[in-house]
Amino acid sequence: MISQQAAKSLRISHVGLRGVVGSALTASHVLDFAAAFGTFLEPGGAVVIGRDPRASGVMMREGLLAGLLACGHDVIDLGIAPTPVIQHSIRRRDASGGVSIGASHNSAEWNALKFFGREGTYLSTAEAGELLDIYHLKKFAFVEWNQIGRVTEETRAIDRYLDDLAANYDFPALRKFRVLVDCCNGTSSLILRRANQRFGTAFILINEQIEGVSFAHEPSTTRDAVALQLAPLMQPLHADAGFLFDVDSDRVALAAEDGTPVSEEVVLPLLADYLLPRGPGKLIIANISSTALLEEIAARHGGRVVRVPVGRQAAIDALSTYRPEQIALAGEGTGAVMMPQFRFVYDGIASMLAVLSMLHESGRTLSQILNSYPKYSILKGQVPLVTQRIPALLMDLRARYSDGQVSVLDGLRVDWPGRWFHVRVSQTEPIVRVICEQRGDPPRELFDALMEEVRSFA
Amino acid sequence: MPREHLLKIGVSGIRGVVGDFLTPGLACAFAQAFGTYVGAGRVVVGRDTRSSGEMLHHAVACGLLAAGCEVVDVGILPTPTIQIYVGATRTRGGIAITASHNPPEYNALKLFNSEGLFFNSYERGELLDLYHQSDFRRATNEEIRRATADYATPTRLHIERVLRHVNAARIRQRHFRVALDAVNGAGSVMTVGFLRDTLGCELHAISIDPTKPFPRIAEPRPDTLGDLSNLVRSVGAEVGFAQDPDGDRLAVADETGRVLDNDDVLALAVDAALRRLPGDVVVNLTTSSVIDEVAATHGRRVYRTPVGEANVVEMMQATGAVIGGEGSNGGIIFPAVHLCRDSYTGMAFLLERMAETGETMSALAGRLPRFYRKLGKVSYAHGRLGPLMQALEESFPDVQTDRSDGLKLILPGGWIHVRASNTEPLLRLAAEARSEGEVEELYARVLRLFEESGTALFDTLA
Repeated sequence: MISQQAAKSLRISHVGLRGVVGSALTASHVLDFAAAFGTFLEPGGAVVIGRDPRASGVMMREGLLAGLLACGHDVIDLGIAPTPVIQHSIRRRDASGGVSIGASHNSAEWNALKFFGREGTYLSTAEAGELLDIYHLKKFAFVEWNQIGRVTEETRAIDRYLDDLAANYDFPALRKFRVLVDCCNGTSSLILRRANQRFGTAFILINEQIEGVSFAHEPSTTRDAVALQLAPLMQPLHADAGFLFDVDSDRVALAAEDGTPVSEEVVLPLLADYLLPRGPGKLIIANISSTALLEEIAARHGGRVVRVPVGRQAAIDALSTYRPEQIALAGEGTGAVMMPQFRFVYDGIASMLAVLSMLHESGRTLSQILNSYPKYSILKGQVPLVTQRIPALLMDLRARYSDGQVSVLDGLRVDWPGRWFHVRVSQTEPIVRVICEQRGDPPRELFDALMEEVRSFA
Repeated sequence: MPREHLLKIGVSGIRGVVGDFLTPGLACAFAQAFGTYVGAGRVVVGRDTRSSGEMLHHAVACGLLAAGCEVVDVGILPTPTIQIYVGATRTRGGIAITASHNPPEYNALKLFNSEGLFFNSYERGELLDLYHQSDFRRATNEEIRRATADYATPTRLHIERVLRHVNAARIRQRHFRVALDAVNGAGSVMTVGFLRDTLGCELHAISIDPTKPFPRIAEPRPDTLGDLSNLVRSVGAEVGFAQDPDGDRLAVADETGRVLDNDDVLALAVDAALRRLPGDVVVNLTTSSVIDEVAATHGRRVYRTPVGEANVVEMMQATGAVIGGEGSNGGIIFPAVHLCRDSYTGMAFLLERMAETGETMSALAGRLPRFYRKLGKVSYAHGRLGPLMQALEESFPDVQTDRSDGLKLILPGGWIHVRASNTEPLLRLAAEARSEGEVEELYARVLRLFEESGTALFDTLA
């Protein structure tokens, strides 16, 4: 019987390696995963690596280097670098892959390895499965002593990334905005400080100190996190827009100029509103747990939402079934958004620039834009999981709510006009998630009924 | 080479052929065991120039950081320089990533305590148990410490220590013309600076590019140093020095290009040391009797130990000896500098002797008592070692014996030492006598005995 604690603190899956360092995630996990990835990649090519500022990243970097070098790969080390910059550098340096060390939106005691292929994109589920098989088999392709790779350090990666952003966004036009940013002691400050130097932009940074042990607050890109420090400072500092990044800068959350913290669910519809008219893509790939506002926004611009199961792998796999020009954007209701012009990389910085460009081009404020959207209210809850009772729970719910339109793509989602709920098992924690949304006021009654129902199976 | 020797994990640490045998995972786990054993403090990590060194550095750093240690990277440096730095900076310990004189496909971890000394036999056993139990300290994010670097201090410290014990001004005055073969090893940069800048020599050096592979067999022996001999002759050098890849071993060529016997080099170093400091001498059982004669001229005693640097070091600690070493492998240990093999002390001593006496290297070596040695190895079947040794002892009934490492028979005019190798299924033979005829007779007598007892293969080294 596996203890709940052990199950919670280490996760080895298609998404990579993630865990609490020390108690669960150890040096040997890192070494073996690095060697597995070195074995998985075609021989000979370079691998780009970088890390977020967590103290444990120093240890993980050493293990990652050892495993990759031992498999004969040269390594280009970016040091402390945002994940989107690592992914950008993979393409720019024509590397055969890359690894980001960092636990993104998790708290400081966690760390993780994320693996990228030749295009700088996440591995497909098939590729990730192969990597996992190699990891479990532990038959690594270590090279002879005279074929071992070398490490070089790369210091221009952020500038080259900014070059790419400057080719897509009109930085001079964005100088007029006072932009307040909560960096949550993560890597976004490295990009934004440099942007201020190079382009004269007015990013005002809080929690900008790179920090390895204690972050100013939980680095999750949620409305609650925005409400902590960012939102209250908006009006005092006369900021036009506010953004909060997670530690590795692949996710973003928003605060409006009037000090309102914006729901993380709104980032995707907002960007859809901006990107759909600019074409050519008309499809939005989103998971079935994110807001139905997306459908309304898509309909306004003749777009269509493709709903996929929750989790990064489902979105990645869905993307590969379309031509890039068919897609407007893809993402989750967590502030993680991929855009085709940035080759489908979760990129919080590019997302922020898209929002600022929208403000510039529309001449409206963020709250004006958001207030023009119909109101949706979403309630989210979670209940500890008793794995073996999940099928019975879902059957029971399905029978009880058989009057709606049912989807079993991932757990159970039931839709009625203007209202839906989704009950599913988390991929990262041993819990059942309950999400319930309604156009207009919160669906409190439905939500409470669902929570009670789910708890009765716990 | 038999497969089982491609990886060896034992009380002397971990050593093997890099790739499928010595893997980064093993190095990391061993380092994590080490970090757990020495505790959460600073640990020094350095390496020689092997192409696997950088990779293994990262594996070792990973294991140490995971155990909560702070890693101080000193880069590519000779092993004695790393040891001196560990001891001087009072860190928890140190790891040198080097397979010393082994071929380039090998690498190994040498482990040092907070004084920069090899672990004693008890500590080594405890560490090995910890490794096998995988009972490692696993630091959390808050407990994980930094990785820092200090590339400049170790070299300075080491050279300062050596200079305290030699008259550098006197050496510099002579502007010795010196040849050097650093085997593209860890001494490549430091030795050039030491001989040319510190000791004012006119230096003619080969194999001083640390980015290149070893151009010769890594062990500095008379039969591997043809290039050095040629260099000495072509530039008219007064002395030639050769190091091994991690700069602890030294070989010496005289002005004619002849490479001296390593036992004679040790004897010259013993003589130099005993001229400055009163005290006794420790060497291993296989080292030449020339040491006893040199020590006797200073009225000093010689202690003998089993083969292995750690054994010599332990005995030196126990006896307070002022000089020691292992003749056959070119190791000179002068504890006033540091209790480790140190080629730099050796070079400085020899140059100072040349400066003091005004004599050539061949003349200095020529005045040593002359012994004749013969070394060889014999393969044997496991389980036959005991009867073999007994037969040997019985056939020399009236001689003094030493059983501390194999069997050493000490005859009035010479000795023969037979011991099982630690690394290969071989018996190593060493014989010594006052004349070539005597040593050949003694050696042949032992070989005959082995033949009669059915020991199969013979292979005699020069």
